[in-house]
Amino acid sequence: MSGKKKNDGVDSNSRRIFTQRTSLMAGLVALGGGSFLMQPEGAWAADPIKVGIATDLTGPISWAGIVNANVAKMVIAEINKGGGLLGRPLQMVLEDTASNEQLAVTKVRKLVSQDKVDVVLGGVTSSMRNAIKDTIVNRGKTLYIYPQLYEGKECTPNLFCTGPTPAQQCDTFIPWLIKNGGKKFYLPSADYVWPHTLNDYAKKVIKANGGEVVGEEYFPVDHSEYSATVNKIMTSGVNVVFNTTIPPGVGSLFKQLHEAGFGKKGGRLACVYYDENALGITPANEIEGLATCLDYFSAINDPMGAKIFNNYKTLYGDKSRFCAGGAGTGMWRGLMLWAEAVKEAKSVKRDAVAAALDHAKLTDGPGGGCEMVPGTRHLKMNMYIAVSKGGQYNVVESSKMVLPGECA
Amino acid sequence: MNTALPFLFDLLSYTAVFVLVVLGLGVIASMMGIFNFAHGEFLLLGAYSVFFLDQMGVPPSIGIICAPLIVGLIGLVIERFAISRFYATPVVAMLGTYAIGLVIRESVRTALGGQFHTVEAPLNGTFSIGETSISQWRTFVILITIALLFGCWWLFQKTNFGLKVRAAIENPMLARSSGIAVNQVYSITFAFGAALAGLAGALMVPLYPLNADMGVTFLIKAFLAVMLGGLGGLQGSVAGSTLVGVTSAALPWFIKPVVADMMVFIIAILVVKFRPDGLLSRRRS
Repeated sequence: MSGKKKNDGVDSNSRRIFTQRTSLMAGLVALGGGSFLMQPEGAWAADPIKVGIATDLTGPISWAGIVNANVAKMVIAEINKGGGLLGRPLQMVLEDTASNEQLAVTKVRKLVSQDKVDVVLGGVTSSMRNAIKDTIVNRGKTLYIYPQLYEGKECTPNLFCTGPTPAQQCDTFIPWLIKNGGKKFYLPSADYVWPHTLNDYAKKVIKANGGEVVGEEYFPVDHSEYSATVNKIMTSGVNVVFNTTIPPGVGSLFKQLHEAGFGKKGGRLACVYYDENALGITPANEIEGLATCLDYFSAINDPMGAKIFNNYKTLYGDKSRFCAGGAGTGMWRGLMLWAEAVKEAKSVKRDAVAAALDHAKLTDGPGGGCEMVPGTRHLKMNMYIAVSKGGQYNVVESSKMVLPGECA
Repeated sequence: MNTALPFLFDLLSYTAVFVLVVLGLGVIASMMGIFNFAHGEFLLLGAYSVFFLDQMGVPPSIGIICAPLIVGLIGLVIERFAISRFYATPVVAMLGTYAIGLVIRESVRTALGGQFHTVEAPLNGTFSIGETSISQWRTFVILITIALLFGCWWLFQKTNFGLKVRAAIENPMLARSSGIAVNQVYSITFAFGAALAGLAGALMVPLYPLNADMGVTFLIKAFLAVMLGGLGGLQGSVAGSTLVGVTSAALPWFIKPVVADMMVFIIAILVVKFRPDGLLSRRRS
């Protein structure tokens, strides 16, 4: 009798555990492991337009990916607030590509074949773009917008780039560096595709402007000790260190250069990806005078940029800021240009949207307006040279509508 | 400008940092036979503690003293709840510690918003020897490392606790029957190893930017050092880490850094080929 009672207890207990576990599993399956569905708020009569965002929310590239996803959420919510597109709301399908290319291919395949999104935005590193573009554009027959500054040479049809190219980051910047630093350049770099290709371009511009490359050195991407290089820089009379080593190692390079007295002796640091979020990598006094060239700085204080900057800050706090380098501005422009193109095409069909996107234009945005250069799938946009002073950037020169110089 | 002095200082300073990183790993691996894949994350926790306290208004000098205590405590908790179940199965222990590390790393990443941060060194400046300017903080790290090495040697060779630890590794059954609380010894040793990692992280955070992956960068080379040194004693780990540290720091002065990175492993493999039980194996056999 008591045995039966005991059994009953076990049964009901295990039944409860079973129910708990099944519901937990169901919850996990619904979440799909790092995949998030953001349903548009409010009541909509029409089916949503699906926007796929594939970015690195976790892993080493998450410093950029988190900003990316935040910007996308912000812009999509705003478009929905303004009535959506073609009378339909936007639904964001966010996939965490976890800084892992193999995983990312599976994730974007899900976006294009299962969720059937109408456009995919995202990818931060060039290796990520190269890994996922074929799945999206060729096999998935979906439009792809890549938002990060990069090394150029991406001319795949139906793949649009909304970040700055080497021409935009070097053409005005390097002559400025020669004038405000000197002629002797040293190029410490991380050993992957972006620094190699960017340096090839930069070297041409340096030579064309009468400068000289004293040294060019490639380090493993996770390198963290640069004493040998710092010594070479200090002993060879280098005026400008044009850096493409990446975080976190870049912090030790700048620190060691500072400790060796590079800045004190009149040397100029330059780093084209160093946005306002990167300023936290080293203490301000160690990168005093560092120069960069990007499409947006909060110091420009343009009304549109300030509005976006503050809106971002209100929504997501100040752990990370809305800025240029981590593809923040590229994501903003990508979504807004795509929205314009959809409006013009009156459809979300790929070919129609791509045709409209080919000449899409924004009259305003962070750092000013921008415009697709027809036939190149790259943007012309305003570029700014800024110098760090006391942990802030001061804009020292601005250039209007710089051409991307790609795929022409 | 003279090159010899910066070169020597670089060798010394990088090797010191590296020995510091390996020390805790070596203590846990050689004393307990556990390959702690969460070691890099203990390091990260040490660095993060300093940053966190700095944000709360505690100066980094105090933060650096608190960090090993905090990480040691966390290590103790982890040992009690997880590691203590793995002693019989070293392979499971590797996977288990890897998982623990992953959880710590991604939690810190979330807390940092994925961004990089910096903590100002308590000794922030340089002094000059001739034309060479030498970083005060790096010099301090070198001195602390030397002091720690002596401290560890004294702890494990000269104290009653050290004797118990060595007895527990040599023969746990006999140690247990001789009245040594082996489990307790293991707990304290693990916590001590974790605290060393915490201290290493705290001392490193003014040198390298704080980010979730800062531990991972060192982990592979740190394991290489422990393997080179051979298990069974702390001296082995120290010798191994010195070799890896010196070659890692010296090679980029002479050959391309990308090649140098590979050469470190090639040299290590050659050493293991000729001394399969580790650099100092002779003593134990």
